[in-house]
Amino acid sequence: MARDHGVIGSAAPAAARQSGRVPWLLIAAPTAVLLLFFALPNALLLSASFVKSEAQQLTNELTLENYQFLFTRPLYIWAFIRTFIVGTAVGAIDVLLGFPLAYFLVRTRSRWKGLLIALALAPLLASVVVRTYGWYILLNRYGVANDLLVSLGLLDERIAFMPSTGAIIVGLAHALLPYTVLTIMGSLQGINPNLEAAAMSLGASRTRTFFHVVLPLSFPGIAGGFILAFSIAISAYATPAILGGPATQVMATAIYGFMTQLLDWSIGAALAVILVVCAVTLAYAAARLGARQAAL
Amino acid sequence: MSRNLRRRFLQQAAVAVAAPYVITARAQETLIVNTQGGEYQELIERVVIRPFEKKYGVRVVHDPTGTASQDYAKIRASRGAPGFDVAGLLTPPEVILGVKEGLLEKLSEREVPNLRHLWDKTWQVIPPGSGAPHTLQYAALVYNKEKLDRPRSWADYWEPQKKYAAKVKGHVIQYNPANLLSVYALIHAAQLGGGGVDNMEPAWQRLKAQKPYVGVVVTGSAEAVPHFENGEVWISPYWSARSGYYIDRGLPFDMVIPDEGASGLFDVACVPVGAKNKKLAYEFLNWRLDPAIQREWALAYFSSPTRPGVELPAKFAANQITTKEQIAKTQFPDSDVIGARRKDWTVKWQEIMG
Repeated sequence: MARDHGVIGSAAPAAARQSGRVPWLLIAAPTAVLLLFFALPNALLLSASFVKSEAQQLTNELTLENYQFLFTRPLYIWAFIRTFIVGTAVGAIDVLLGFPLAYFLVRTRSRWKGLLIALALAPLLASVVVRTYGWYILLNRYGVANDLLVSLGLLDERIAFMPSTGAIIVGLAHALLPYTVLTIMGSLQGINPNLEAAAMSLGASRTRTFFHVVLPLSFPGIAGGFILAFSIAISAYATPAILGGPATQVMATAIYGFMTQLLDWSIGAALAVILVVCAVTLAYAAARLGARQAAL
Repeated sequence: MSRNLRRRFLQQAAVAVAAPYVITARAQETLIVNTQGGEYQELIERVVIRPFEKKYGVRVVHDPTGTASQDYAKIRASRGAPGFDVAGLLTPPEVILGVKEGLLEKLSEREVPNLRHLWDKTWQVIPPGSGAPHTLQYAALVYNKEKLDRPRSWADYWEPQKKYAAKVKGHVIQYNPANLLSVYALIHAAQLGGGGVDNMEPAWQRLKAQKPYVGVVVTGSAEAVPHFENGEVWISPYWSARSGYYIDRGLPFDMVIPDEGASGLFDVACVPVGAKNKKLAYEFLNWRLDPAIQREWALAYFSSPTRPGVELPAKFAANQITTKEQIAKTQFPDSDVIGARRKDWTVKWQEIMG
């Protein structure tokens, strides 16, 4: 018995130690991946952004000129502003369109529910480039939208819907809608239907129940959907490049231009650092706001 | 059988027995060649790559992704080991930068014997031994002959309202200076006003004046083609090789060398310092400069050979640079200066066009 006690006595702390290690082991792999593929490249970008570039070559000289170059040119200040206008508009449009769709998909009792969800998410099956070229075919000066408007007599002359900021917003809002729908659906599914029933049994109308029960409880999902759409939109490259063209720059296309076309990595790195810092700060602020609203 | 005869017989027999194994061993060799996609991919695979594979008994993997600057960005990011053995389609600004950064192999006639046959002017455009220029073309003007009269000068593109009046509004194309075609056209615009690479102000004045007439803005040359086809663009600067290719396929366009002349461009194949199969890469570069391949390529791509003495049909040669006099007359803008100032020019262009 004593021996048994001894075994049990020594095994318990060992098991405790082992179970204490499990969470660390579980997060070790993703942490390593994040450090290697996110933190390290961003650290390299940060260091490159403070290095002077001369005739397309990095020098050993440290400088703030790259940031000065970007913050003193209206072209790049407009690229920052346009990027955040695009991100905010895409996030807002996707939440406005995605919420009713997500609400319907969660609450419907149709036997086609599975199929409807699959249909709502179907755009994810096509490459973003393919979807964007779909918009290109619709929106260009000789595209379907112009053909239709001219043939209906609503337009005398063809107009250029693209390249424009509006076209970028439309293309990205379409591409990112499924992400917002999925995020809001997750939040709506977590709401206990009895809460709505309770509100209505106490005399609240359907509209009042929606605005005072469902909407506040789904706010984390709305904030999450907005942040997701916003974050992807401000870093998107393909859609702005195709629907915005070289004269309607956002930060991602400007970064691409400096890195791979002009081969000026210092300014490209400075732009990338600004984008990452702004995105992380805004995403953090939106997440805090969402959490606060959910707590109220 | 004499002793000598017997020895020769034994040597030949040994070669005959070993030959299949030698060829098999060579067949294991793989060369990765980067160029570009679209019609270029089909042409280079048919005219250059497959015959090379057949002749040398090797396998060539063709990587058709990226533009010249994107390919150089890969070379730089990988410190000279981008995953391909031949950077098959660089332009002089990237080649000059590659030499400065020590990321491209220095070539000599020992590795690439055909280098000795290139035009003398080649080594004034790019550093000696920095690559194998295999294609020569020039920036010309193309126009829709169903819509416009034949342009004669670069001014007809830069000040289209003067020659074509209001009807040309919305049918002029502009290219981002990330594309060398745009840089060359801007230099011609500067020259129209007495400027040049050292004084681009006249180019910016012309760009501002032309802007109301511009209907399409793109970066890559290939992006312009759908706009030529759908009738949206009527006049454009364009590379002579691709112009010839598309016109031959029924595009209702014609190509003009403006009175002020055209600017020449060498497409250059280089070997990154970290290439895995350098020996075969050198053989490929030499093959690219072989007179028979030069001729076939010129005819297929509507370009000019990069060496003298390549026989071409007279009608075809009329639009090409094939003589010493023509080479001497062709303007080759200073790519070192272009590399150094391209960022500032691009920013200025974007400020005007944005």
